[in-house]
Amino acid sequence: MEYFIDNANFIDFVKKLLETSRVLAPVEQYQRNCIQRITPDNIQAINLSDFRTVEPFKACFFALDEQVNDLPEPKPLTLLGARGCDLEALEVEDRVFGEGDFKDEFYLKRRENSFIIGADCTGCGKTCFCTMVGGQPFPVKLFDLNLSPVKGGYVVEVGSEKGKKLIGELPAATAEQLQAKAELRQRTLAALDETNLEYKCRCSVDWKDAHKANLENQKAWKEVTKNCVECSACNFICPTCTCFLLLDAPVDSQWSTVNSRHKVWDACLKNGYARVAGGANSRPLLYQRLQNRYHCKFDYSHDRLGRYTCVGCGRCIDACAGNIDMREVYAELVRQVPLTAKLE
Amino acid sequence: MENLYKPVKARTEKVITETSNIKTFLFRPEKPLAFLPGQFMLVTVPGAGECAFTPSSDYRITETLEFTIMRAGSVTSLIHQLKAGDPVGLRGPYGKPYPLKDFHGKEIYVIGGGVGLAPLRALLYGLDHEIDHLKKVEVRFGARTPADIAYRDAIPQWQKRKKTKIVISVDTAGPGWTGNVGLVTTILEDDDVDPNNAVAVVCGPPIMMKFVNTRLLAMGFAPKNIYLSMEKNMSCGIGKCFHCNLGKYFVCKDGPVFTWEQIKDIPEPW
Repeated sequence: MEYFIDNANFIDFVKKLLETSRVLAPVEQYQRNCIQRITPDNIQAINLSDFRTVEPFKACFFALDEQVNDLPEPKPLTLLGARGCDLEALEVEDRVFGEGDFKDEFYLKRRENSFIIGADCTGCGKTCFCTMVGGQPFPVKLFDLNLSPVKGGYVVEVGSEKGKKLIGELPAATAEQLQAKAELRQRTLAALDETNLEYKCRCSVDWKDAHKANLENQKAWKEVTKNCVECSACNFICPTCTCFLLLDAPVDSQWSTVNSRHKVWDACLKNGYARVAGGANSRPLLYQRLQNRYHCKFDYSHDRLGRYTCVGCGRCIDACAGNIDMREVYAELVRQVPLTAKLE
Repeated sequence: MENLYKPVKARTEKVITETSNIKTFLFRPEKPLAFLPGQFMLVTVPGAGECAFTPSSDYRITETLEFTIMRAGSVTSLIHQLKAGDPVGLRGPYGKPYPLKDFHGKEIYVIGGGVGLAPLRALLYGLDHEIDHLKKVEVRFGARTPADIAYRDAIPQWQKRKKTKIVISVDTAGPGWTGNVGLVTTILEDDDVDPNNAVAVVCGPPIMMKFVNTRLLAMGFAPKNIYLSMEKNMSCGIGKCFHCNLGKYFVCKDGPVFTWEQIKDIPEPW
C-alpha cells in the first residue's frame, strides 16, 4: 500500500516531526545538496530532488570524535532524504557495529533512536555508479518511510510500523501517481546507465574477481596510486569507511585513574595506520595501503559480509585531490586480468 | 548493555625486571578476569593509551594476571615506569585461544623468540595441565644474547617437568654461556618431533616467524598444524575498528593465533 502526501502537508509533517526529533535533510548550497539541520525556518529549503548529498550521513551514528567513557543517551534523530546508496551504506554500518559477538552500543543506541525517511534520486551525478555495485537509485531497504517525488507532492512508501505511525492517515496514491513514480525510477536508471556506459562496456569481470586476480599485481597498483597524495579524503568522505582509533587522554593534569577515552575516525591510507610499536609496518608503501582499501571494499568485504562495502555513491571520486576514479581503477584492473581468466 | 571500550580497573602489585627491556607485571583487577592461553587483553595506562598483550600467567589464576612486556613504543615505555600500587585498566580477554583439546595425543613443538616467550609461557602452563594427554613437549627458544633471556629463574623448573624438553639458543654468546649459539632455526632438528603427529606453535618477531615457518614446512609439517601468533596494530580488540586486518581476517577477532593454512594465500602476511 502506497500513499500520497501533497507539498503543503509535507511541510506540516516535517513541522510535526520537529516537535519530537532533530531532523537532518538535504538543502541546496553552492548548487549541490548538503546535509543541514532543519528548523521551522528552513523547512521550505529542503531539497529532495537531484541525487545524494555532498557528505554522507555517517557521522549521525558514528561521530567523528566521541567520548566512550559512558554510554550515550541520544535524542531522537530523523534522517530525511537518505538515498538508495545512503541506505546501502547504513546496512554496512549496522552490520559492522551490530553483528558478531561484540556489539558497539555507542552506534546502536543512536541508531535505535532514529527515523529513516528515504527519497528517490531524480537525477544522476557525474560520479554516481550505484548500479555498478548492485545498488539502486532509490531506497529498497532500512527506511521507515520513502518519498518519491511526483507532481504536487510525494508518493509515500511505508517501510516499518514506526513509519506507519509517523505518517498517520493519508490518501492512497492514485494509479497515475504510481505510474509517475515508476517512470521516474526508469528515467534515473537510464541516466545512470548512460553515465557509466563506458565502464559497463569495458568491464567484463566483476569487482571481486578483478581484485582477486590482481592481488599480487604490484605494477598495476603502483600505477593506480601514482596520483594519490595520501590525503585520506576518500576514507573520511566514504559512508562505509568505519575505521576508528581509541585515543586516551588524561582528564586532569595529574596522573590519575581517570581516563578520557575517545573513539575517533581513522584512515587506512595514513602511514601510521598499521604501524606497530617498534616501527614495523605491514603496509609501509602508499600503493599497499590504497590496494588494501580497495580490497577491503570489494574483496575482503565479500568474504566477511557477503557484499561489497562500496555503495557506488562516488563521493571518493568527487573528493579525491589526485582525480582517482574508482571506476577507472576497476576498468584498469579488469584490463590486467589475463584473457583466459575472463573467459572462465 | 555493556560499554566494551571501558576497561576494568586494576592495580599493579609487582614488577619483575626480566632483561634490560623486558619486565613482567603482576596486575590485580577489581574483579577476577578469566582467560585461556592464546587470548589477549588490552592494558590501559590511564590518560596515555592502551596496548594489546597476551597474559603470560597460569590461566587458572583469575584474581591476578601477569604480563611480560617489552619496551618498544610510547605506551610500553610508560608501562615500564609503573610501580607497585599504580593503577592500570584491563579489557578483555579477546581473541581465540589455542585449541588445546585438539593437541591431545600429539607432540607439541613450541618455538619462541624474544618477548614471544610471554604468550608461550601461558601456553606452557596450559600444556602442563594437559600433559597426560600429550606425547611430549619440545620447546625451542631464541634470544639475542644470554642477558635477553626472559624467565631465567623459571626455565630450570620447566626443564624438570615430565615429557618436556627445552633448548635455548642465543644469537651472540656472552661470558659464561655454554649453550647453543645461532638463530633459533639452527636448533630445529629434523628428529625433534614427528611432523606427521605434531603441532608447531610459534611466537616471536615477524621475521623470525617467517623463517621458522619456512623451516617447519621443509621439515614436513602440514600448513594446518603450524600455529602462528600474528602481530598487528590493534585498537578496539573486538573486530570493529579494522586496524588489525590481515586480508579478510581481523587478528583480534579471528586470531591472534592463525594456522599457516588460514593465511598462506595472503601476500607477505608478516
